[in-house]
Amino acid sequence: MPVFGLIDANSFYCSCQRAFDPALKRRPVVVLSNNDGCAIARTKEAKALGIKMGDAWHLIRKDRKLAGVEWLSSNYPLYADMSRRVFEVLTDLVPRVEPYSIDEMFLDLSGINDLESLCVKLRQDVSQITKIPTCVGWGPTKTIAKLANAIAKDRPELEGVCDLTGAGARERYYRNLDVGEVWGIGRRSVEKLHASNIRTISHYVDADEKLIRAISGILGERIQSELRGDSCLRLSDMAPQRQGVSCTRSFGRPITEPEEMREAVCGFATRAAEKLRGEGLEGGHIAVFIQTSPHARQWGWYSGQRALSIPATNDTLVMVRHATRLLREIWRPGYRYIKAGVHLTDLSPDGAQASLLEPRNMAAESAMRAMDEINQRYGKQVLRPASIGVNRNWSPRQNMLSPRYTTKLAEIMVAGTF
Amino acid sequence: MSGYAGDRTTGFASPAADDIEGPIDLSEALDLRRPSRYPVRVSGATFAARGILPDDVLVVDTSVTAVHGSLVVASVAGRSMLAELRKTGRRWHLHSGDGCRPPVEVAESSDVEIWAAVTGVVRLVV
Ligand SMILES: [Mg+2]
Repeated sequence: MPVFGLIDANSFYCSCQRAFDPALKRRPVVVLSNNDGCAIARTKEAKALGIKMGDAWHLIRKDRKLAGVEWLSSNYPLYADMSRRVFEVLTDLVPRVEPYSIDEMFLDLSGINDLESLCVKLRQDVSQITKIPTCVGWGPTKTIAKLANAIAKDRPELEGVCDLTGAGARERYYRNLDVGEVWGIGRRSVEKLHASNIRTISHYVDADEKLIRAISGILGERIQSELRGDSCLRLSDMAPQRQGVSCTRSFGRPITEPEEMREAVCGFATRAAEKLRGEGLEGGHIAVFIQTSPHARQWGWYSGQRALSIPATNDTLVMVRHATRLLREIWRPGYRYIKAGVHLTDLSPDGAQASLLEPRNMAAESAMRAMDEINQRYGKQVLRPASIGVNRNWSPRQNMLSPRYTTKLAEIMVAGTF
Repeated sequence: MSGYAGDRTTGFASPAADDIEGPIDLSEALDLRRPSRYPVRVSGATFAARGILPDDVLVVDTSVTAVHGSLVVASVAGRSMLAELRKTGRRWHLHSGDGCRPPVEVAESSDVEIWAAVTGVVRLVV
C-alpha cells in the first residue's frame, strides 16, 4: 500500500523572516503582497490580533492595536532559497519529494516501517537546518495526507504530526469535519453538497458515487475514492516544463506617459527573454497587456492585450522589438495604467527550431550569453537594451523589504561579536 | 564571459580541449549550496585575537553539533552574536572573545539560543 506524506511550513514567509532576525521571535509578523498591498502571511501572534489574510495594509496600518506588528514586504528571492533548502533536507531522508508549492511538499513514504519516528525527524531536521517550523500528515492517498496535515496544524496536542493511515483514525476525524476541509472541494461544490445533506466528510465518503459525480463531477468522484483510501493521484517529480514565461508587474504609481510605459514593457520583455535563456528555451508567441485599475473606474477603465506568433527566439532585442510594436497597438492615451506584462508561450528547447533557410544568428546568441553573464555577476540589468531606460520610479513599492540574506553577499545576516 | 575557455581555438586545435575544468568555484569549495550552510558577516572586534576581524564572512552550519570550544552564532536577547561555546559542569555558556563580558547561559529562559556553528572564515583584502 502506498503511503503519502505532506509537510507544510507554518506561516512560511514569516518563518523565513524570523529565521534570520531573532528580534522577530514571538512578535506578530505580517508579510505583505507585491506593492505592499495586503497581508499574505501572518504569524500566530498576528492572527491573534485579528489580522486576516488579504487585509489591505493601507486600511489597517494606523490601527492602534496593531502598533507592535512588524510589517514586511515580500522577499521572494529569500523564500525561494529557503524552499530549496527545505526540499534538500527532505530529499536526504525521503527517496522522493514533490515540491507542490513554495511551502508544502508531498513525500513518498511507501515501505517505511516506523513512519512516526521518520516524520518527527523530518520536522526536527527542517527546523534545525532551515529554522522553519512545519507540520506533517500522512496517509494512503495524497488527499488524505493533505487532510492529515491540516489536522496536525489545527491541533497543537498532536505536536505537529498526524497519522491517518488507519481506517479507524480517519473515521473519527471524517465524522466531525466538514466536507469543505477537503483539498480540492471548492466553495461552490460545498454549497451544493450541503444542500444535498452531505455535510461531513463521512457523508461524502459514504454517498453514492453517482450523486457525487452529479454534484462535483469526475474530480469530485476521484476525491471520494482518495478519501476512501484508494490512491488516484501519484507523486510527480517536479512541475512539468513550463507552458509559458511571464513578467508582469503592478506599478507603484499609475503610469500615464507612453514613453514610461514603453520602458516598463521593454523591461518585462528583457526579463522574460532572460528567463527563457536561463532555462534553455525559446518562445514562439508573445503577448503584451496593459490595464488600468478595476477599483478606480472614475479615471476611466481600459484593458488592452495583443499577441503575435513569431519565429522562436530568446533574443532580448527581438523580443523588445515585438513588445514595443504590440504596445503601440494597444496604447490608449488618457488612462492611468497600473499594471502591465509580457507573456511568452509556445516554448521549445533552445535551437530546436533552427532551419537551413534561417541560419541561427550566432552573433546575437553570444551577445545574449555575454549579457546574461554580466548581469549575473554584477546585478540585475546592469546591461540592458537602451529602451528600458534608467530611472524606473514606477517600480513596485517595497518599502519594508528585508535583506536577501542567502542570495546576495552584500545583504547577508550580520552577527555582532560577544 | 566570452565563452572561450582554452578550448575553441581557430587556428591550431587546442591540445587542452578535452581537459577544460573552468575556474575554481568557491561556493562549491565552501559547500555553500548545502542546505545547512549560511554566510554571516562579522560586525565587531572582540574575536580579533582569535583571528576573526570585523567584516569577515563566516561560513556557518546549522546541522553541525557545537561542542565545548566551538565558535557559534547565537541569538542573544534578539541579536545575532558570534561567541565561544563552553561547558561548565552540565551547563553551556557563551563566552566573549576578549573576556570583557561575563558569560551567559544558553537557555530558553535567558533568551539565548544557538543558531549555527562556525565552520569557516572568508576575508577579502581590499
Ligand atoms: Mg503553509
